[in-house]
Amino acid sequence: MKLSPANYAAIALTVAGAIVMSALNWSGRPVSVATVGSMLVVGVTLGSIYAVSASGLVVVYTTTGVFNFAQGAMGMYWAFVYWELRFNRNWPAPIAIGLVVLVMAPLGGVVLDRLVMRRLRGTPLVLQLMVTVGLMLGFMGLAATQWKGDRGRNAQPFFGRSGGFELLGVNVTWHRFTTICVAVLLAVLLRLLLHRSRIGVAMRAVVDSRSLTSLTGANPEIISGLAWALGSSLAAVAGILIAPESGLVVELLTLVVVDAFAAAAVGRLQSLPLTFLGAMVLGIGQQFMRSFLDFPGGFSNADRALPTILLFVVVLALPQAKLHVRGTASAASARIRRVTPLSDAALGGLALIVVVVSWSGGLVPFVDEWTGTGVNRGVTMMITAIIMLSLVPLTGWAGQVNFAPLAFAGFGAVMFLKVAGDSGQAWGLLMAALLTAPVGALMALPAVRLQGLYLALASMAFARGFELLFFTQSSVIDSGAGERIASLHFAGWQLDGRGRGYLIFLTVVFAAGVVGLIALKRSRYGRRWMAIHDSEAAAATLGISLVETKVIVFGISAAIAGFGGALFGIQQATLNPSQFTLLLGLPIVLLLVVGGVAYPAAALFGGVNTILFIVIKERLGWSWLSALEILGPGLMAVAMVVNTRGAVTDMGRAFSPLLPWRQDAREQLRLGHASSREDEIGELGLDRPFTRDHVNDLDKHLGIVDLIPATPSAESRGGL
Amino acid sequence: MTPMLELRDLRAGYGGIDVLHGIDLTIASGEVVALLGPNGAGKTTALATISGQISPSGGTVSLMGHNVNGVRPDRLARAGVCLVPEGRGVFPNLTVRENLIMSTYTGVSISSIEERAYELFPRLGDRRGQTAGTLSGGEQQMLAMSRAMTTDPALLLLDELSMGLAPMIVAELYERVGELAQKGLSILIVEQFAQAVLGVADRAVVMVNGEIRTVGAPADISRQLAEAYLGG
Ligand SMILES: Nc1ncnc2c1ncn2[C@@H]1O[C@H](COP(=O)(O)OP(=O)(O)O)[C@@H](O)[C@H]1O
Ligand SMILES: [Mg+2]
Repeated sequence: MKLSPANYAAIALTVAGAIVMSALNWSGRPVSVATVGSMLVVGVTLGSIYAVSASGLVVVYTTTGVFNFAQGAMGMYWAFVYWELRFNRNWPAPIAIGLVVLVMAPLGGVVLDRLVMRRLRGTPLVLQLMVTVGLMLGFMGLAATQWKGDRGRNAQPFFGRSGGFELLGVNVTWHRFTTICVAVLLAVLLRLLLHRSRIGVAMRAVVDSRSLTSLTGANPEIISGLAWALGSSLAAVAGILIAPESGLVVELLTLVVVDAFAAAAVGRLQSLPLTFLGAMVLGIGQQFMRSFLDFPGGFSNADRALPTILLFVVVLALPQAKLHVRGTASAASARIRRVTPLSDAALGGLALIVVVVSWSGGLVPFVDEWTGTGVNRGVTMMITAIIMLSLVPLTGWAGQVNFAPLAFAGFGAVMFLKVAGDSGQAWGLLMAALLTAPVGALMALPAVRLQGLYLALASMAFARGFELLFFTQSSVIDSGAGERIASLHFAGWQLDGRGRGYLIFLTVVFAAGVVGLIALKRSRYGRRWMAIHDSEAAAATLGISLVETKVIVFGISAAIAGFGGALFGIQQATLNPSQFTLLLGLPIVLLLVVGGVAYPAAALFGGVNTILFIVIKERLGWSWLSALEILGPGLMAVAMVVNTRGAVTDMGRAFSPLLPWRQDAREQLRLGHASSREDEIGELGLDRPFTRDHVNDLDKHLGIVDLIPATPSAESRGGL
Repeated sequence: MTPMLELRDLRAGYGGIDVLHGIDLTIASGEVVALLGPNGAGKTTALATISGQISPSGGTVSLMGHNVNGVRPDRLARAGVCLVPEGRGVFPNLTVRENLIMSTYTGVSISSIEERAYELFPRLGDRRGQTAGTLSGGEQQMLAMSRAMTTDPALLLLDELSMGLAPMIVAELYERVGELAQKGLSILIVEQFAQAVLGVADRAVVMVNGEIRTVGAPADISRQLAEAYLGG
């Protein structure tokens, strides 16, 4: 790997930071052969666990071209299956292991390839991300459904808890010894497989070019199936080895592999030796923190946050040229974009307000009786929709993936608590939004350099970092103190966080937000966002500053999420750190994308679905639905491999031609598909001022059909 | 004698829209045919159909008298149809040696492939550990050609071998094609211009807009094409 001076500087800075942090938090515990030895032994074991998990990620990525966010969840699932056979049914260990690792997991991988993965080929990266994250939730939901959390489960270590041998004064259990051996063995065997064996080479070849692979006489379908079988098997090995250490708990097991992302990133998702190194750094580093450092109260999670910090640093600091991100950032599908006129948005907003007012007033019969939902459910729905709305400009229009909306929301809630928690004054909402915007701009920093997968990883690290290090501070959320957020004071009204007035207030806010966003989309900012979504390089040649554009869109997105978070705080009245975790944020992202991330209406769709899952679960009460709120969004996201456009797009396509003034929609329906557009745009030179002419050029480039009266040179409706 | 390849009223295209509108073409065993035509004529589409990557929407592709419509490309490749595709027909992230390993799916052993490839193209031997994507254009084309040269195919399909390469390298590559022709291999060579193939082709076919326009001796066709391009 070639490192630039900037890379070396970043590494030096990181090391210096680590040293300063260690010096500041030094516990003063004695440094002796015994303590260092014990740190190394435990650290290497931990590192081996990460190595096994991370090699699975790397192997799947190099042999299938897909970064499998579900790798950890798959491992978790197979660990549960193993537990079921080994401990619940008392099968002998070798048979249970053999069956799970060599038969069931590979079969599962093949099925996954058939049903899901092969449909992901050639789809935009955003879809691949969402589908694999959806799979992650799907597996988690499946495991939680099959093995209910109502009783404790114990996966016994191999060869029992006692036993083992002494090394440097530490007892190395046979299980840990096995883990280390498996990690080393896998590192060697996988390297040989991928580079020396024909099938391994063929797996990598398929990722390079499917068609050329078939021309050599190899069957790419079979090879991909084998690659997924292998990946699934590796997940199973990792899960079975980790379960006795982490505990047989759905979330914990899944998150171990999320932690291993950092090690895989050190290997830049390609190199197994570097991944192994990264895993060891992670394991030993974590154990070093536990052995020799003491962190003050709120930072007691610092050791657990190390993988997140490392991931963030690595993604930012390592050279990326070689990190060939596969798949295209945006589907260069032939289309004409229509910018919704403000009048349409306002009309939709009004309609929504009317519906909600009449529903909350009990004017819509039956709904309440059947759903048994009070107004409070409606409140949750609208708040979720508002938080989802924050992703529409960011992900839908500017194409920036963000898995951390709940971190922003949580930040906003905390800010509201601080500035207006006692009084509940409405201006506190605006303050919360304003204060959250800079946090979004902070997140834009990595986004300036990163795209696609790496941005997704960075945002996950960001969310997890907030979860472990920020919300846990007692100065941020003092769960013990029982701070309460007052109900909202707005224009002389006092709106209870669970009442009808609050719901109507939220609906008006949401509708206003939609109209505001549509107005933004029609502005030159909105066009710049779409331009960087289409092609950052092309946007730059049009004179668009990527830094400024990304900082603004991240800031706006964070402000909306922060606003939504503050509203959430008012509903909840009390805050606690577990409300804003990475995992809880994922369904929000997924349900929005399922609806169609580029459309504000999808936020409403997502909010409705969030509630729907809860209501269905409650009304039906069937025990197999117990994990519906994660299983549902997960499966819906996975189903996007069939309908990639998002649900509201189809609804809109079916509905809009019915509106008398939508002549264009009828025409488009008649023409079938929109006409294609030019991919190339003219050289306009860098750093020019962004004039009206640029806007027109952009419109042509993006194929926007706009109803803004156009200057004569800007006739862009030629496409129809 | 049954021809090596026979196309009868072949129609094929993308997404339900035909690009080839009824092609008739026969290549006898041991014959070398040049398929010429302007950009967008459908030459690549024809090769993709013959090699099984696209299923015909009408007509037939027959190899040695067997109808092979709808047979998967990997099966055809193992049966002896070798297509060297347009552009660079190599795996850019695999090393030279790993690229050669992929050729063993035809059933030839890696030792024999390596031996012959490095003998034919010594420059590849010097770069066996290098990733193919970092090779020069000419070296990549040699690597792509070495699959054809080392796996003893029955029918060789070459798509614009000369595209973007220096004349010296083109000459070297066509020298190798000539050797294969000498051995009695049936070859279909696609090029936009006739010059490169004049020395090796027995017959030339001109395709325009998905239809065969002219068939004739390479020299005559070359003259006609030159006139057409100059006249047009
Ligand atoms: N993958 C594809 N999808 C749709 N149309 C294609 C595709 N590839 C080629 N075409 C169209 O088919 C026609 C013939 O292309 P091609 O066979 O590549 O021509 P040639 O090789 O003679 O230059 C062209 O009009 C081209 O636009
Ligand atoms: Mg071509």
